[in-house]
Amino acid sequence: MSLAIPCPRCGPRPFEEFSFGGELRALSSPDAEGDFVRVYLRENAPGPQAERWFHAYGCRRWVTVVRDTATNRIVPGG
Amino acid sequence: MGDDLRFEGTRVAVEAGDTVASALYRSGVRTFTRSLKYHRRRGPYCLTGDCPNCLVNVDGEPGVRACTTVASPGQVVRREAGWPSPDHDLLNVTDHLHPLMPVSFYSKTFIRPRSAWRWAERVIRRATGIGRLPMGRAPRLRPATTLHADVLVVGGGVAGLAAAAEAASDGRRVVVVDEGRLGEKPWDPVTIERIESLAASARAAGAEILERHTAVGLYEGPFVPVVGPDETLHVEAGRVIAATGAVEAHAVFPGNDLPGVFLARGAARLAGRHGVAPGRRAALVTTTDEGASTASVLRDAGMEVEAIEGSVVAAEGRRRVRAVVVDTVTGPRRIACDTLVLSLGWAPRDALLRMGTDDEVLGAGDVVIPGCSIEAAEESGRRAARGQTDPPVDAPIVPFASDGYVCLCEDVSLHDLERSWAEGWRSSEILKRYTTTTMGPCQGAVCGRLLASFAGARADAVATRGTRTTARPPARPLALEDLAAGVDEVIERRTSLHERHLELGGRPIHSGAWMRPSTFGDVREEIRSVRERVGLMDVGTLAKFLVAGRDAEELLDRILPTRVRGLAPGRSRYAIVLSEAGYVVDDGLIAALGDGRFFLCTTSGGAASMEAWLRDRIDRWALHAHLLDQTSELGAILVAGPTARSVLERLTEDDVSATTLPHMAHARITVAGVRCRALRVGFVGELGFELHHPRSRGPELYDALLEAGRTEGVQPFGLDALDVLRLEKGHIYLGQDTLPDDHPEKLGLSWAVDGDKEDFVGKHALERMFAIPPERKLVGLRIEGAPARGIPLSSGGRVVGRVTSAARSDAVGATVGLGWLRGNDGTFPTDLRAGDAVARVVPTPFYDPEGERLRV
Repeated sequence: MSLAIPCPRCGPRPFEEFSFGGELRALSSPDAEGDFVRVYLRENAPGPQAERWFHAYGCRRWVTVVRDTATNRIVPGG
Repeated sequence: MGDDLRFEGTRVAVEAGDTVASALYRSGVRTFTRSLKYHRRRGPYCLTGDCPNCLVNVDGEPGVRACTTVASPGQVVRREAGWPSPDHDLLNVTDHLHPLMPVSFYSKTFIRPRSAWRWAERVIRRATGIGRLPMGRAPRLRPATTLHADVLVVGGGVAGLAAAAEAASDGRRVVVVDEGRLGEKPWDPVTIERIESLAASARAAGAEILERHTAVGLYEGPFVPVVGPDETLHVEAGRVIAATGAVEAHAVFPGNDLPGVFLARGAARLAGRHGVAPGRRAALVTTTDEGASTASVLRDAGMEVEAIEGSVVAAEGRRRVRAVVVDTVTGPRRIACDTLVLSLGWAPRDALLRMGTDDEVLGAGDVVIPGCSIEAAEESGRRAARGQTDPPVDAPIVPFASDGYVCLCEDVSLHDLERSWAEGWRSSEILKRYTTTTMGPCQGAVCGRLLASFAGARADAVATRGTRTTARPPARPLALEDLAAGVDEVIERRTSLHERHLELGGRPIHSGAWMRPSTFGDVREEIRSVRERVGLMDVGTLAKFLVAGRDAEELLDRILPTRVRGLAPGRSRYAIVLSEAGYVVDDGLIAALGDGRFFLCTTSGGAASMEAWLRDRIDRWALHAHLLDQTSELGAILVAGPTARSVLERLTEDDVSATTLPHMAHARITVAGVRCRALRVGFVGELGFELHHPRSRGPELYDALLEAGRTEGVQPFGLDALDVLRLEKGHIYLGQDTLPDDHPEKLGLSWAVDGDKEDFVGKHALERMFAIPPERKLVGLRIEGAPARGIPLSSGGRVVGRVTSAARSDAVGATVGLGWLRGNDGTFPTDLRAGDAVARVVPTPFYDPEGERLRV
């Protein structure tokens, strides 16, 4: 419900200012099978997860943070 | 007599410190409300705001707790439950029928014939409930404020204030919220004095104390919504200390809900704080240390008190308590009395504490050590401030007697629970849902532990079936308008032409976040003007991006499925935007501006996601590209129709001829003194110029175009006309004609994908999907009947698709539409019906299939 995203430009800001961009995934994969996994499958595992957040109501830049999905806490320095 | 409140046509005197409950009780009111289902008389019971027995209507607001509401002169108070009145309630007949009415009686009984429910519901709705909503009253628009605190203390009693004083003394920002006024609930001078001195030291140390502010829930963060008299606070706290105290234990015995039955602290408060004796003769059943002091405060108020140790077997009486039967060590005793006071232990007010999943949510005082002394509460508060807390001490349950009301809010008796258990509802969670126990205004404060104990004690229950039901917000009653605080502001975007549209008779509608005119009066005339003469449309809502930088071309070429490299300056190209999964997410126009700069113009609704997505790619590919969102700074007017050029020529000295500015070209021109980027486009299927201009110059440009086009019969047109014009050309509306998993082939847009391109976003996915025949596709339809969007398409009686767009087209002379068809191994049915009408699959565009009207 409440989460502060550490924005490297704006400092910690409430998550409502951001839009969620999902798990951090590779930009491409060498083969078709790898591409299928990359595009369609999500880990969605409990625990630390690197993910992308877009600071839509702030600097309008993307941030990559590590968030523990089981506790909904940002992992510092992750 | 200005100090009176008005109560059902009479005046009730208000004394200093009175609550609505104490003022009414002093004036002789005993029945405050009627119970939800069985219309049993109910009167003040807890006097701490925990039970539902004193809900009244105050100044038009239903469901107000009389015991926690300050009485003030001029207040209008009335009781709502009961027909014809709370004192003489004929619906009390249901109480006598109660043995015949199991839980869910009404829905079980009136299930057949099905038509019975229609009238039964009407009767039942009137017969149940404890208040009427104030219809027609405008909601109070309440602001929401976010508040950051190092420590939030909920509850301004001894433990809470001690915690606040301790935490604030090391310089932390501390906020204390209490639902009432500090020191309002206790009645003994020692506690009140201690609260006052702790409050003074907490304030001196810098703690902020907010009275009449109720914490209604606790979410992860921790995050606590707090409802105050005029606002809702969203408190983001580093640590939350719940010092919410305890309610006195509710006991279940026949007659336990009669007026005259009091929890001891409630009776003591009435007598000690308000000087109102709850009755003349009290039986005080006690198992706690507080019993003696309760007896003395009641005696001081002039009551005769008989203190007994034992368990209550039953309370007798019809309108109020007349006698009580108590099982004592020497056997059962029957005591004549008009008041029964119960001091049988505590039920921690632990709802917030149980909602907390964080380590930073700590309990202090009675909520963890029920019935603790003032000294122990203070010590517990100070420890919590230091981050230490005690494990909650289990407070014993008062054993059940033969029957009685477990849940006062929802009128659920022990007998109801037993019967429901026999029906097979055998765990606390499922019993809760079936009987609605704990689901009333008190949210289980009184009955939650009793329900768990009931289920846990059954021999045929498994261990987990007797656990407490999950605590969820709200912990305290609140109004919907408190929940809605801060969400009343609708963001409404307007173009610079909004006022002009209104002047011209345009009917504005919501289109995404924008307000856009649907029509200016006559949709058919608007369509005809575009097809035969010239029309104007405000398209300033389109998403507009300037892409610049060394790698701008590379960025767009790597993203878009169409070739951007080699697009000559002054030319533009239609482009679809694919997700990585190959699905069409947006479409628009890409225009090369020269110097490696590009202008990207996409759909109105997709501006935010388009921007985010482009920035993601710039960032992750580490490209030297800049993105400027010009959606708000640029306006755009579409001038379309066979005579569009002659209108423009009257306003510009620049060359807008077909040779200089052909279809899909663009140029910088000056129109009526306004510098514009003119894009030759064809969404509506006629000669068209999209004039992108500085937003502030919009109205003058629009006026000039209207004036210059007068001889051509220029006509402004809106969304309704656009819908038909684009449909005649077979152009899709993303979102209306498409589904989230549509790849280009399904939409007939394969031509917009350059298969020779080495790579673009979604290429691998498309290769995978293009290898499989599409299971459905979007087709053009001619329908022999009236247009209806959303109706199913069927073939041989089987539903095979759906019409996504349809309109009567004067230009085509038929009803045309777009729709989905489901196929089988790449073959699609041809003999179709759209609803009852015959439909044929035809190629698109329906109008001007060769696009000759565009290339002029």
